[in-house]
Amino acid sequence: MRTRMLVCLILLAALFASAAGQTQGFGGPGVTVLPIEPVTIQPGKSATLKMSFRINSGFHINSNKPTQEILIPTTVKLNPPSEMLVGKIEYPAGEQMALPFMPEEKLSVYSGTFNVTGVLKTTNSVLPGTYRVRGELRYQACSDRQCFPPHTQEFAFDVKVVRSATDHKRKNPAQSPNIKG
Amino acid sequence: MKINLPTAVLLVVLVAAMFFAGRHLANRSHGGAADPARISGDAKGKLAPDFELKDLAGKNVRLSDYHGKVVLLNFWATWCPPCKEEMPWFVDLQQRYGAQGLQVIGVAMDDSDQKTIESFAKRLGVNYPVLRGKESVAQAYGDVQFLPDTFYIGRDGKIVSHVQGLINRKEIEEQVKKALAPSASTLQSRRLRPA
Repeated sequence: MRTRMLVCLILLAALFASAAGQTQGFGGPGVTVLPIEPVTIQPGKSATLKMSFRINSGFHINSNKPTQEILIPTTVKLNPPSEMLVGKIEYPAGEQMALPFMPEEKLSVYSGTFNVTGVLKTTNSVLPGTYRVRGELRYQACSDRQCFPPHTQEFAFDVKVVRSATDHKRKNPAQSPNIKG
Repeated sequence: MKINLPTAVLLVVLVAAMFFAGRHLANRSHGGAADPARISGDAKGKLAPDFELKDLAGKNVRLSDYHGKVVLLNFWATWCPPCKEEMPWFVDLQQRYGAQGLQVIGVAMDDSDQKTIESFAKRLGVNYPVLRGKESVAQAYGDVQFLPDTFYIGRDGKIVSHVQGLINRKEIEEQVKKALAPSASTLQSRRLRPA
């Protein structure tokens, strides 16, 4: 009898724990910046990087080209060190969705996971090493029934600059303050 | 291992308390975002905090200017599609229930310039005062973490109900009717008044 009661209690505790985990897993309107794959680049060359973002379940954010001017577009801004330049940043097309109460008005949004690509170019004089690039994702999230204020989320990733074949001949290169120790 | 009944009950209560505490903390840390639109009873019965904000013409407007009226206080923003959805409903309610003492007040919580808010409201035919929101007012009304956020305030200045997020038109009208209905204390004072 008592063993049965103990088993029931353990099952009950497991049920509560599972329910609590699900609640916490909902995660609010946040967007997670997924790990960015390492980028390797040669001096004077360019490389394309892929940035992936995951929007928490139950929410969406406007695409980069919302259907109305008044809506806040999702944008990614990269702030590289002085030895690098940012080229074109490309956004995916948004998915068309309508709110349950506004079936006639289509919105262009991202939900789930979406990828943004960006081109980084290094100057000819860049020194080999690992450079930190900082970025900002600006978005405004909503669910079907409520919206959250616009938010800017910062992120950072490393770019490795490797010597080209001709650079191997250089000796005692100068040091850039932007190279990570 | 032996376990007696009081210990078992205590264990269940403990686990349940931990679960609800965890859920409460999770909701708090995420701004209560897990819930869809809901009518919260938290603010009910409390005196609506007075404020002074500028309307779109630059005139100072206080909530207390409307004492004696039923106020539908709606926090919104131009970037909020659910807010945009309910604004024409408020226009209609203002028309139909204005004579009974309803006053809708919109508080725009976005950083858009005056002209943008003005043209947005005009496009939707807004027939009620639109005020430029301030963080301090949002905080006074429980932080207003997401929009729309609507307070139904009775003639006595007390909050009758608080609705977070978009609800349907019928539910909004029910909230208005509830706020317009004489409260129990009003009825009692009428009964006590000599003929």
